[in-house]
Amino acid sequence: MELKLILTGLGGQGVLFLTRLLSKTAVSLGHTVMVSETHGMSQRGGSVISHLKVSGSKAPLIRRGTADILIALEPNEAVRSLTFLRQGGAAFINSDNGLPPELDAHLKRLNLQVQCLPASQMAVELGTAAVTNTIMAGFAHPFPIESLRHALTEIVPHGRELNLQALTAGYAANQRSVFSEQ
Amino acid sequence: MSVENLLGNEAIGLGLVEQGCRVVTAYPGTPSSEILAGVIKHKKRLGWDVYTEWSSNEKVAFEVALAASWSGLRAAVAMKQVGLNVAADPLFSAAYTGVKGAFLVIAADDPGPHSSQTEQDSRMMALTAKVPVFDPSSPAEAREMVALALDLSERFGAPVLLRPTTRLCHAVQSLDLPDVAGSNGETPKVKFRKDPGRWTATPKFRNKLHHELNQKLRQIEAEFDQSPLNFVINAGSSDKVGVIASGVAYHTAVQSLSELGVRIPVLKVGTPYPLPQHKVADFAASVERVVVIEEPDACIELQIPERGKVYGRLDGTVPNAGELSPEVVAHALAGVLANAGFDISPSPHDTALQDLINELPLPVRRPRLCPGCSHRSTFFALKQEFGPRAIYPGDIGCYTLGMNLRAVDTFVDMGASVTMADGFYQAGRITGDTRPIIATIGDSTFLHSGIPPLINAVHTGAKFVLLILDNHTTAMTGFQPTAANDTLADGGEAPRQVSIPDIARACGVGFVESADPYDQASFRTLMRQAYDYTQEADGGVAVLVADRPCVLYDRAPIQEHPVPVIVTEECDGCRFCVEAFECPALVLYPERNIVDIDYKICVDCGQCIDACYKGFIIPKMPVGSVQ
Repeated sequence: MELKLILTGLGGQGVLFLTRLLSKTAVSLGHTVMVSETHGMSQRGGSVISHLKVSGSKAPLIRRGTADILIALEPNEAVRSLTFLRQGGAAFINSDNGLPPELDAHLKRLNLQVQCLPASQMAVELGTAAVTNTIMAGFAHPFPIESLRHALTEIVPHGRELNLQALTAGYAANQRSVFSEQ
Repeated sequence: MSVENLLGNEAIGLGLVEQGCRVVTAYPGTPSSEILAGVIKHKKRLGWDVYTEWSSNEKVAFEVALAASWSGLRAAVAMKQVGLNVAADPLFSAAYTGVKGAFLVIAADDPGPHSSQTEQDSRMMALTAKVPVFDPSSPAEAREMVALALDLSERFGAPVLLRPTTRLCHAVQSLDLPDVAGSNGETPKVKFRKDPGRWTATPKFRNKLHHELNQKLRQIEAEFDQSPLNFVINAGSSDKVGVIASGVAYHTAVQSLSELGVRIPVLKVGTPYPLPQHKVADFAASVERVVVIEEPDACIELQIPERGKVYGRLDGTVPNAGELSPEVVAHALAGVLANAGFDISPSPHDTALQDLINELPLPVRRPRLCPGCSHRSTFFALKQEFGPRAIYPGDIGCYTLGMNLRAVDTFVDMGASVTMADGFYQAGRITGDTRPIIATIGDSTFLHSGIPPLINAVHTGAKFVLLILDNHTTAMTGFQPTAANDTLADGGEAPRQVSIPDIARACGVGFVESADPYDQASFRTLMRQAYDYTQEADGGVAVLVADRPCVLYDRAPIQEHPVPVIVTEECDGCRFCVEAFECPALVLYPERNIVDIDYKICVDCGQCIDACYKGFIIPKMPVGSVQ
């Protein structure tokens, strides 16, 4: 089945790496992928967003209101991208304080499943803020964790152990993800 | 064979190598930059002999590759859409002369625009130049079209344009990667053969060549009419509305129709110029209304002679600026379909939530120079020395972001900082405007098109300071080497490097100095000396090279001399450093009314010490030292 993901954050946070990790995992499971990445000037600290379609249309962009999963490395970028989700879609957000409370009624009305994790803080505790993205990959785990682990070992030449720890830590924080069986 | 996830640009690069291109040249520019990188990666993977270069500019790149084609080799040149403006002269000429070996011009368009000064349509440029166009819709199709375009070019002896757009260039798609097969090791049995009536055609012969070109285009159009690249899906499913679409917008249109719950015929045009007129006319005859979905401009739509039933950019059905996002395409299609009586699914985009989000005070993210960027030190010193009054013509690169520090007042195109400074001086001489003029240009941009403007300014006696921001690489587009570097495109050693200060001297500039902008006090002194030189009776242009490697490209200088800093408790939150220095690692905490360092991104450059004139940003004392 088709799975549509929006991955977002700020330039320098590793949205591209997260995108490549999930794409590689999808392909290792026999799916085709179509991804749209942000390059160029926006990478200098601006908003960065990837659209990832697994076994879906070849159109590079996902229409607002149709994405299944949102993974955000920064809470303001999460809010900016929230309406990409379809009704009943799931958001996994790196945030210490959740989302602005004025959104609550809408999240409930649209049956959006929002889960937050203080991933930046966890990453620093693991040794470096650079693995925030990997923690969030484990937290959302849109694919079986073993497949993610395998793809991660293939694409990380350095710091493999730390990245695997980060993936595991994110996964441990959310083993009941509704999408974990896909 | 293996399946790999390939970036669209890499898929194009792979296609060029697979199809036996022996010379591939380029000048970097978003969204095209990774095409040559893809060529280099796959020629190395296969161990094949393909000459690659990052040329000085797009015209240079075009002509180097063109000569290879005239020598009988398969050749290609890649650039972004505005680069094709720079290479327009040889593009138009080569359409007439034709080519020998296959010659593929790749110009990547940037609907939006995301990283460009215009949304121009390279297909229209090719139409004006009379160059056939292939318009791929996905990385996989781009790779296939490389083969078909090269074949067409070779058979007709015509240059051919491949036109991807940003969303294709930066799309990643799973593709089959073939195992190493064959080799390109043998010496090709071709060489340049003189043909004065063609390669040195005078106007009389040019007229003949023009007729010949028109003849080729007629034959190519007939071939495109039969080409499987132009095909109909859902044929006969409706006689009310049909869609003609090309490029990435084709897939967006198909997705939109599915989301709207509508099944109607779609003509996918893979070759928008020359337009396969019979196929288009037959399609248009089969429906009452035709919606054209293409970007960034109305290339196909304009070529349809009978426009009575055509809806698109020209009548406002499709917005005539901006990218064709899924929302825009769905909206445009929904309008026409509703008028034609179709029952369409409502938009899934929740406007109530969107309206609320639009009201939230989300931080505005603008691109900023990186922590430790030497351009910031240069711009800060510049503003401190010359203030808000001076005129600051800027140029194209990371350092265009000097506008955030109000040290860039204009940018037009590559190299225009120098010519605009020249022109501002001449205009000021007439109007009595004596404000200082200090232009900034990067190393790669200077070598691209800053040199003829500099010669012009020297010769005409213009008086301004030109700061050449030499960070030793083409940073914005991914660190491609310039002619001033010791490496070549594929990592090989450059036999010679050019010296930017020597070029300035050779242009006749009477004041040429070079200094590290990290030493801000000395740099300010030099800037003042440069300006004073321009004001001397026999003074003219002064060139000052700000010499410091890009902090992302070469971290060694900072690692050798790190200067960690702290903000003292006296900080009164006056915001000066945050606004005038604008380092992402300087964070203002309004609730505590202080600035502090974000050590997660600070690179210990120590440059912000100069950014607090009150002395509240200081070097961190070494551990154990006396407080």
